[in-house]
Amino acid sequence: MRKAERMRRALMRTNTRLLLTSVVIFQVLALGLLALRPDNESPFPLILLIAVPLTTLLVANLMGSIWPVDRAILILVLFLCSVGIITLSAVCPSEDTPRSQAIFAAAGVFALFAGVLFMRGWTSWRRFAVPLAALCLLALASPWAIGEWHDGARNWIVLIRNKMTVQPSEFMKPVLILVLAAGFCNRPRFERCLPPIAFAALCCGILLSERDLGAVLLYFLTTVLMYYAASSNALLCGAGLAMGAGAAVIAYEALPYVQNRVACWQNPWADPQNGGYQIVRALAAIGSGGMFGAGLGLGMPRNVPLYHSDFIFTSVAEEFGLIFSLGLMAVYVLIILRGLIVAMNARTSFHSLTAFGLVAIFGLQALLIIGGNTKMLPLTGVTLPLVSYGGSSLVSTFFSMGLLLGISSLNAEDEATDIERVALKEEVGL
Amino acid sequence: MKELRRNMRRVGYLVLALFIGAGVWFGYTVYTQGDAWASTAYNPRLAHTNSQRGDILDRDGVVLATTNAQGERAYLADEAARRALSQTVGDTAGMSGSGVENFFSATLLDLSTSLTDRLVELFNNARHVGSSLQLTVDAQLQAGIARLFPEGYSGAVCVTNYKTGEILAMVSLPNYDPYAANAAGEGVADTAYLNRCLQGLYTPGSVFKIVTLACALDYDPAVVQQRFTCSGVWEYEGGSINCMSGRTSHGEIGLQTAFAQSCNVTFGKLAYQLGLDRLRATAEKFGFNENFKFGDFMIYNSSFPTGVRNMNGLVWAGIGQGEVLVTPLHMAMISGAVANGGAMMQPYLVKKVETSLGQVTRRGESRVYRQVMSADAAQTVAKYMYGAVKSGTAKRAAISGYTVCGKTGSAETSNDKNVATNAWYTGFVYDDAHPFAVSVVVEQGGAGSQLASELASKALKLAIECVN
Repeated sequence: MRKAERMRRALMRTNTRLLLTSVVIFQVLALGLLALRPDNESPFPLILLIAVPLTTLLVANLMGSIWPVDRAILILVLFLCSVGIITLSAVCPSEDTPRSQAIFAAAGVFALFAGVLFMRGWTSWRRFAVPLAALCLLALASPWAIGEWHDGARNWIVLIRNKMTVQPSEFMKPVLILVLAAGFCNRPRFERCLPPIAFAALCCGILLSERDLGAVLLYFLTTVLMYYAASSNALLCGAGLAMGAGAAVIAYEALPYVQNRVACWQNPWADPQNGGYQIVRALAAIGSGGMFGAGLGLGMPRNVPLYHSDFIFTSVAEEFGLIFSLGLMAVYVLIILRGLIVAMNARTSFHSLTAFGLVAIFGLQALLIIGGNTKMLPLTGVTLPLVSYGGSSLVSTFFSMGLLLGISSLNAEDEATDIERVALKEEVGL
Repeated sequence: MKELRRNMRRVGYLVLALFIGAGVWFGYTVYTQGDAWASTAYNPRLAHTNSQRGDILDRDGVVLATTNAQGERAYLADEAARRALSQTVGDTAGMSGSGVENFFSATLLDLSTSLTDRLVELFNNARHVGSSLQLTVDAQLQAGIARLFPEGYSGAVCVTNYKTGEILAMVSLPNYDPYAANAAGEGVADTAYLNRCLQGLYTPGSVFKIVTLACALDYDPAVVQQRFTCSGVWEYEGGSINCMSGRTSHGEIGLQTAFAQSCNVTFGKLAYQLGLDRLRATAEKFGFNENFKFGDFMIYNSSFPTGVRNMNGLVWAGIGQGEVLVTPLHMAMISGAVANGGAMMQPYLVKKVETSLGQVTRRGESRVYRQVMSADAAQTVAKYMYGAVKSGTAKRAAISGYTVCGKTGSAETSNDKNVATNAWYTGFVYDDAHPFAVSVVVEQGGAGSQLASELASKALKLAIECVN
């Protein structure tokens, strides 16, 4: 092996062995516990017990040896995904849900690799920004043509009836960020930023027409944060936020549906049987879990509506307890912090903004749904990234994380080249 | 790029702060309110839990609620007694929200036991039995008072021990049969689920004169010498006030007689003399406008007007009309404070919590809530209240052989003169062996000097007989 190549590898090897080991131990213990349940008769938990830790080890080592990616992010992403599979296996009445989630996760791993490959291979972002934007708008509008209503929002499209439905707003998150990063990079003047902003506004408008309020909020806040990072124009961003707040007030006045949500959030106990039902049940679940949880598979999280998707955080809190849930939040924080380091180390403003946008939307989404589950914020129907049940969200988040990892690998290679160059200069005697 | 990194760092700090805030909020709320969330009646886990509810006992150990061999909840066998205790004990359907069954679910089921205890039980394969709760209430007394309550009226009677703060009886009528409690609202009037002692906000009327008097004594002890003139009606700028619809005039009158005769004109003038700020300060010292947080039950907050700036509002507030609202338990706390040398005791309902293994995890403790007035002022108010029983409006509250002090009230709740007033009485027995305070409301029971005073006397007599 060439000397430079060896040095590059050595630089990339952050010490993540301990992290990987503890994640695998957690997975083995939790899945082992589920497989050993006395009422368990099917081989499915046993399959998971073998497959999940093996996949984790394989993916972490394989990807780490192909590209110098940030392994900490990679391992934590896999950890979150396995927490989702474990919780679903413990709380769902049938095996179908965790089985589909495991299949989605497998697809997600491919998306992860695809993301890295895409980011490393994509150099001509300027040229593709416009077609990508068009694709994004088309995809977001598609539910109007081939969509169906789910829980009061028309944000799903049917690929194969009753078999495969897809949520375009999930898949378009990384696309939105790529388009915005391409539009905002290289410190453009305000006028040059207008087309991407108009594009983001159009996206929000389409989502609003489909009543996917959670996605609207995420797209909007991510756009504002990315524009702030790119332009340092705090005043304009503040104005944007104020506009958003104004729109929220108008929405509150005009839509009884929104008023209802806010009233239920402020005092769910006023109407615990109807409007406040979800949140009262969620709080009861969290309270029943207490500090250390009811125990894996021992709680009754199914009393909470949407216990497997929007309210999975309460399921985790009930089964694993408060301490673990706080730990889960800490894992999100760690991914965000590592992600921001990736963004700050990136060599071009495009890569930097992309990494930043991916981290921002990931963090905001986690914050929105955790806040909604714990009665800190009004509930918005978004998924807990990588944990909630749902193929679209899982695969798309894996792809986004793949993009982030791709950027981290580019950073590492650049850094290695720099160091090599300095060393060479020294040898030559300059 | 440098600027970009700086901006990103800023956003990073912001997101980090938000996450830390969310974590702290989450941890704090679960830590402080988790048990309350878990113990609401809307938690279906409670019905399915493996753990068996502990018993509820009265102060003498009479079993008010238990789980029988079939695993069903059983209450007192005697229907009248069961109904009398309904809102205090509560029901498994959780209809009476402040009832012990609902409010103390988590304790009765012991959801909050430690991890090790739970593991031990898991390995022994034992059915978990929750803690039992002993209340300060006397079942015999409470059932007896409910029996004495005038037929056909609604209202509340509250008996407390003013030296310790123990609640001895909380009678609220109408009541319901806990076996019949259901969420669908069949067969039981909605208001029957309400514990009027804690959640009935009533206009106090003349019983509030205790507070007005305490205020006057606090600011000027010489007020006891002052003479007032009552011509039956006092007309002032912007309104008028009268005694018994203007039919009686008390003439020239001292404060003590005015209190005993419950002269509205005198106390209206006194309130005007004091001014709203002073009166409000004293009322707030007595617990009005305060967010009561007593650990054993949920009580509504009494209120004294804060926004009134005209003379009419002030004068009427001075005699407990207008926007003044109070719960019967709070009124019993007020007269209890008079009896206890100005020290208002914090009321409590749970005497003892005992785990299934016999370990006492909590005991009710006597705590002074606040010194609401000086011992001297309390002495004077008590003397005035004694006068009201001896020779004033509260004559019927007297019990032979005991020093009884009290104050009546006839609270107007409607501008329509055909609607009977709410009859109020509050008072206490001055007796070291039986330090009992009482408050009585008979809704639309007419003048406080009639039904309410009589009932209070009977209730205290019963308390002296059966509470030890």
